[in-house]
Parts: sequence; structure tokens; C-alpha cells
Amino acid sequence: MKPLLEVHNLTTYFYTQDGIVKAVDDVSYDLDPGETIALVGESGCGKTVSALSIIRLIAEPPGKIESGEVLFNGTDLLKLSPDEIRKVRGAQISMIFQEPLTSLNPVLTIGRQLSEGLESHKGLSRGEAEREAMNLLKIVGIPHPEQRVHDYPHQFSGGMRQRVMIAIAIACKPKIIIADEPTTAVDVTIQAQLLELIRGISREFNTALILITHNLGVVARYAHRVFVMYAGKIVEQGTALEVYHRPHHPYTAGLLASVPRLDEPRKTRLLPIRDQPPDLIALPKGCAFHARCDYSIEMCAQQKPTLVQVAKDHYSACWVDQKGHTPWQKKSS
Amino acid sequence: MTVVTKIETVSARPHHTLWGDAFIRLRRNYLALAGAVFILLLALAAILAPLITPYGFADQNLDEIMESPSWKHPMGTDELGRDAFARLLYGARTSLSVGIFTQFIVIVIGLPIGAISGYAGGKTDNFIMRFVDVMYAFPDILLIILLRSVLGGSIYMLFLAIGLVAWVGVSRLVRGQVLSLKSRDFVSAARAMGGMGNYITWRHLLPNSLGPVIVSITFNIPRAIFAEAALSYIGIGVQPPTPSWGAMIRDGYNLIFAKPHLIIFPAIAIALLLLAFTFLGDGLRDALDPKLRR
Amino acid sequence: MFKFIVRRILWLVLVLFVVSLITFTLMHLVPGGPWDREKQLAPQVVDALNKRYGLDKPLYEQFGNFLWGVVQGDLGVSYSFQGRGVTEILLKGLPRTAILGILAFILAQAVGIPFGMAAALKQNSTTDYASVIFSTIFASIPGFVLGILLMILFSVALHWLPTGGWGSPLQLIMPVICLAALPAAQSARITRASTLEVMRQDYVRTARSKGLPENVVRVRHIFRNSLIPVVTVAGPELANLITGSFIIENLFSIPGVGRLFVQGVFARDYGLIMGGVLFYAFAIAILNLVVDVLYAAIDPRIRFD
Repeated sequence: MKPLLEVHNLTTYFYTQDGIVKAVDDVSYDLDPGETIALVGESGCGKTVSALSIIRLIAEPPGKIESGEVLFNGTDLLKLSPDEIRKVRGAQISMIFQEPLTSLNPVLTIGRQLSEGLESHKGLSRGEAEREAMNLLKIVGIPHPEQRVHDYPHQFSGGMRQRVMIAIAIACKPKIIIADEPTTAVDVTIQAQLLELIRGISREFNTALILITHNLGVVARYAHRVFVMYAGKIVEQGTALEVYHRPHHPYTAGLLASVPRLDEPRKTRLLPIRDQPPDLIALPKGCAFHARCDYSIEMCAQQKPTLVQVAKDHYSACWVDQKGHTPWQKKSS
Repeated sequence: MTVVTKIETVSARPHHTLWGDAFIRLRRNYLALAGAVFILLLALAAILAPLITPYGFADQNLDEIMESPSWKHPMGTDELGRDAFARLLYGARTSLSVGIFTQFIVIVIGLPIGAISGYAGGKTDNFIMRFVDVMYAFPDILLIILLRSVLGGSIYMLFLAIGLVAWVGVSRLVRGQVLSLKSRDFVSAARAMGGMGNYITWRHLLPNSLGPVIVSITFNIPRAIFAEAALSYIGIGVQPPTPSWGAMIRDGYNLIFAKPHLIIFPAIAIALLLLAFTFLGDGLRDALDPKLRR
Repeated sequence: MFKFIVRRILWLVLVLFVVSLITFTLMHLVPGGPWDREKQLAPQVVDALNKRYGLDKPLYEQFGNFLWGVVQGDLGVSYSFQGRGVTEILLKGLPRTAILGILAFILAQAVGIPFGMAAALKQNSTTDYASVIFSTIFASIPGFVLGILLMILFSVALHWLPTGGWGSPLQLIMPVICLAALPAAQSARITRASTLEVMRQDYVRTARSKGLPENVVRVRHIFRNSLIPVVTVAGPELANLITGSFIIENLFSIPGVGRLFVQGVFARDYGLIMGGVLFYAFAIAILNLVVDVLYAAIDPRIRFD
């Protein structure tokens, strides 16, 4: 099967007064129709920027997509004219953002924010679009949609607003939905509901999903394949189960050890990864992770590791791993 | 595993204090710098006026009235034969002293009232703020004119009249600062460690609200200068023979067709001085705005 | 909404009361009475005048009488415009001041808002720098100084425009520009700043992610939000226009409220001064009320409780 979306060697930089921030550096991944993939990593590792680059929502300046290609059904989205990419956004590829509180326009009604995309892409009349908006609110589980279309965002709770964001994302039945940390900003009790809603919708409409998260627990449950990002690069990729059970990168292992897991005895201590992520302006010479890594060897400080296949459909970029050692695995299995 | 030399992951970029950062920012802002230089030069010229021009601001020479600019009188003479350049220099004294002394009054009144209001909260705060609201509803110039007629004609009373109107803004600002800072962690920390009310105010709150107050004062100075010029222009500002740019414009207005230079020079002087303060104020605001810090 | 307006009107009444009390007190602290002239009037004449205008009564009674008159729309009697009512005098000047103010406000917004937006949408372009520099200049130069410079250019040097007076549209051009310069500059600065701020907001990115045409994003999502701060300063701007008219009306010899008021101040005309102050305070309070209601109309988050 030909992938729906292929990202090849995507590189996005931000030019700030302090220097060049290499937010996304030579990143490649692909997505099949109806598949769910996850981009995982700490905040600031470039996962959001890589997703925004796909539909070219990077603010220019200071951002700039330096190189690479993003093939959507064979068309390079990075080569489209502004008007052509506009017709892809929302209609073919849509996005759910992290902050439901600030991602909705405070001075427009919910109905208007839902209907405007429909009017623009599907050519619906205002009345038709409004009826469709009510229908969408019903799909995402908002009670009394016929009244609530006339409400403003501040009249909704955080979880409800995120449901509205989901409704906006699915309005034009896109082929791909990018969900950028869709549950980070809402209450823990609501998080599972929203994720189930997103998964249900993607199954029902056969929509492919790019799930951006820092929570590997979520990944294991919802994603088919996972891409672990660190300092703008993919350091490990593979099927969710493989990566989850047999991480081939110490960073992945660290992420796994730092989140609570249900399949382990309660006594197991959570192990945070020490120190802070590196400065994306002044990246170290070798592996970006080596200064925080408990297993680093001489080579790690000298040369950047590249992605190498370690098992079927499983790749990792780690010198230690490539020497055949995976001392971190016993800790997490 | 082999231990490698640990490399500092924290960035190597230099970090500065708020004020250090602000100073660097300000130095990069050429307009603000130009404004500051202009103000300093003008202040110097005003102080050293007797050395720069041989004429006094009130010296009349009835043999040389309404002369056009010349080497002897670079800006000409007015209808009483006074040297316009000398009057402009001495007039700068009036403008600058109005700008500075009114701000003393503003600080003496506005700072404590705002700080007390914000720190005390409750009924005190409510009462003070209602009063401030009424003052706000009163148009500035109107109140200055009223106070002016009550306080009489001396220039000190003019400072007082303008100052008594302008403190309101600063007190609101300080109150807001105190309120927002009061709830911040470091103040709670100081309090938890046993710091007492006054101590907290003076040691932590005021230094932290200093930036916005300085910016606000920098913007207040040109407003006071403008108020003096405007009042003197309508004839209720400084009284003759004290020189004032506003009064020079008033005097020159009748001769606008015959001797426009008598009015052009003071008009441009006011414009430049106010512009210089705006540039400096903008620069300071940008430099001290913590939102711009990274 | 209704409750909000009622509460605001009650507050307005209180403000006006305090303003008239302050004014009344200040006026009676002024050394010298309204009959001080270069030529001393005979004591009998002064007594007679005091009696005629009720100035022989105790102060609280004078104040009470004044307030009672105000409630009935009578701002008292002018002492310098012999025997004429303050209300009548001010109403005569009002249309001129109002026309100046309204034209200046429209001009200011019509120039300021588009310039500010254009500057923000093309940040760091020539348009942007030009807009920033011009708005800084016009925000700092006082209206009367600008008036004089314009007058020297258009009246003295070019003889295109009259230096003042009232009656023909030509006479309106310079005063309106002088009054509009400051609010135009302020609007441009605020519009630019708020547009830049709004353009960074998440909901603008959301709007773009829906694939809306750029002009829809700008008009529907950016423009409306960036106007909110512009509306909030419209109140103070209008107040500035009103007080600015004091000086501009003097400069261009326009017989409006401001010029009358300044004449009253010179003549120590208590009646006119008190009436004028109250009139100004009232006008400004009403304008602020209108602005607040307007503000609520464009920002649904504003609640009236």
C-alpha cells in the first residue's frame, strides 16, 4: 500500500536574535491511510513544529522550512502555492491544537467557527453550514447543540472546547487529522474520553491520525507506530509494541521509566531523566542526548549517530545500541 | 560504561540582570539615545545660557525691535527688542523645570498613595480608588486651569497645579503593580520567612514596580511640559517677563504674517523636546518590558 | 445590560456632584471676586450686583441653588456676558465644538486604524517604519504647535487657507487636522500593537489551519479582535478631543465652548466657569458610557455584572 503521507528529510529552522534554532532537523516519517502514528518527546523537541510544517503553518519569519518534501498522495505540499496549500488545510489535513482555551476565537460564536470552514471548502450556504455545525457538535458529544452553536467559547468548559476543536477538525472529513497534545490542557478525567472520541471518529471516517504527545502510555494504547523525537531529530521509530517493550534508545527507555505504568508493581520508582534538554541553538557535537545519558561512551560525544535498523520495522540512532548493548532494557521490561 | 567529560547542557549565552539587559537594549535603540542626548544638550544649554548668549531674557533694546535673524540675533528680536534666542534658551529652563519638578510632586503624592492603596486593600483601597476615579473623570487641563486660578500666578504654583493633577496615573500604576506583585511567589516566600508588612513593601514590592513607574514618569514629563506651554499659550501659564515657549508663541501669534520666525523657533523647540521625551520613553518601555526578555 | 447602565448613570451623578462641589469650593477660594476690574467698582454697586446674582447668601445656599438649577438644566447665570444664562451661552458654542470634535474623531480613526493595521500586517517593512515614525511624531507634537506650523505653511506662505474663524468649510480644515493628529497617532500605535499581538494568538493559527482565505482570516479573526483595545481608548481620546478644543478654538478663533470657557476664566466669571466645568465633565462621562456599551458589543466576554 502506498503511504498517504510521506515526510522526507524535513528541516525547519527558526531565525532568532540569539541564533538559529534547529527545531526540526532532517526528519522523515510516513503515514498510511487510516493509520495512527505517534510523535513522542519532551516539550520543545520539535514534534509540534514538524507537524505544523506539514501544512505550512510555521510563522515566517522567524521560522523557515529549510528543505525536505512532504508528499501527500504524491503531491509535495511544500511546493504548493499559498492558495493551493490553503485548500489542503482543513479539507484534507486538519489539526487539533493543544490549548483549547486560546485556540478558539473569543469574539465569534462556536457555530460560526465551525461553519466557516464548511462554507469555504464545501461551498455550503450559511444556513446549511450552520445545520451541519449542529450535527458536528452532536457527533462530538455536546448536549443541546441547537442552542450551543450560538454560544461563545468563554461559555464552554476546557473539555467542551476541546470537543469543539475536534468538531472543527473533522468538519470537512479530512484524510488526516493532526492532534497536537489534545489532552494536555484538560482535566485528567476528561483526557481518556477525548482520546476515545478521537479514536472513534478516526475509525468511523477512516481518518489517519498523527498523535503528538509526551505520554508513552497514550501511545501504546492508541498508536500503530511511534516516532520518538529528541532535539529536532527522530531517535527511534518502530511499532508501538516493539518500542514499548524493547526500546533501543536510552532516551525512549528514560521516557518509559518516567511515566507511571499500570503493568508494573506500584513499588517501582519513577525515574526522571536528569538535566534539561539541550539548547537547540547550540547543539553538542555528538549525540544530542549524550550529556543526559547514563550509558554514553566516548564516541557519543564525538559523532552524531544515525538511524539504523535494529529489528523488523524498528530503527534507532544510538552508538551504544549499535555496539549491541541495550543495558536500559532490563530496567523497563 | 566509560565516563565521558560532562558537557554543560545549559546554553553558553550570557545572562544579565533586568537592569543590565535594559541598559543594553536602550543603547541599541538609536532613537531613544538621540532623544536622551537632545534632552541633555538642551538642559546644558539652559543651565549655561548666560555663557552662550550675551543677552538677558528681559533685556529690551528698543532700537532693534522685530529684527529678522542675523549673526547678532540668531533668531531675531521680538516687538520689545528682546533677543529671541536668549528667550528660547531661558524658556528651556522653564519647560525643563516644569517637567522635572511636577514629577517630584507626582512621585511624592502618587507613589505612597498607590502603594498604600494596593497594599492595604479592602476599604482603604476602595475609598482611594473611588477618589482616583473621580479625578480621572475630571479633564486634566480643566482642573489645572481651576487650580491655577486658585493657587495664583507664581511658577511654583504652576508646578503644584500640574503635579496635583498628574499623580493619579502613577498611583493607579503603582497600585496595580503592588497588587500583582503581592500575589507572586517571592513575596509569599518573604512573608512566610517572617518579613513584616512595611519591610515587604519597601524591600520587595517597590524595587520591582520601579521599571513601569520610570517609564510612566518619562511619559509624564512631556505631558507636563505640554501643559505649561499650552497654559502659557492661552495666557494663564507663567507670567511675564518669565520666558516660556508657550508665551513666545502667544506673543508671536500677532506677528505671524510679518515675522513668522518669532513663532517658528519656539514651536519647533517644543515639538523637538516633546519628541525627544517620547523617543526616550518608548525606548525605556521597550527596554524594561519583561515580556520582551528571553 | 440595563442594570449596568443604571449603575453607571448613578455613578455619573455622583461624579458630577463631586466635580461641582470641588469646583464650587475652588472658585470661592479664589482671591478676589467676580467684580474685580481694573477700575474699582463702588461698594454699593458691588453689593447690588452680589444681591442680584444671589452672592450675598451663605455659601451652602448658593451651592444648593446652583444644584437645583442644574437639575432643571439651568447652569446658572454668566457674570461677564451680562445677564445671559450659562446654558444658553454654552449651547450656542456647542454645535461648533461638536462638529470639530466629530470630524476630528472620524478623521483620526479613518487614518489611524488602517495605517496601524497595514503596519502590523507588513511588520518591519517600509510601510511599518513610516507608520511608526509618523505616529510617534504626531503623538508627541501638541495640536497647537502643529496648528502654528500648518498656519505658517498654508496661510502665511501659500495663502491657501484662512488663519481662523467659523463659517466656511475651508476654515475647518486646519483645526480638524490639528485635533485629529494626536488621536490618529494613538489609534495607529494601538492598532499596530494589538494587531501584532492578535496575529500571534492561537486562534489565528486555528483559523489558518481551517484553510480559510487570507482575507477572511484577516477581517474576521484578526481585525475584530485587534479593534477591542482601540475601542477602549476611544473614551479617553474623545475626552482629549474635547479638552484639546480649548486651545485649538483659541488658536483658530472659533467661537466654540472651549474659547468661551477660556474667556470666562479670564473674566473670573464664576457662573460660566462652574457651568462649563460641569458641562465638560458631563460630556466626557456620557461619551465614556457610550464607549463602554460599544465595547461590550464587540467583545462578548464582557459581562455587565
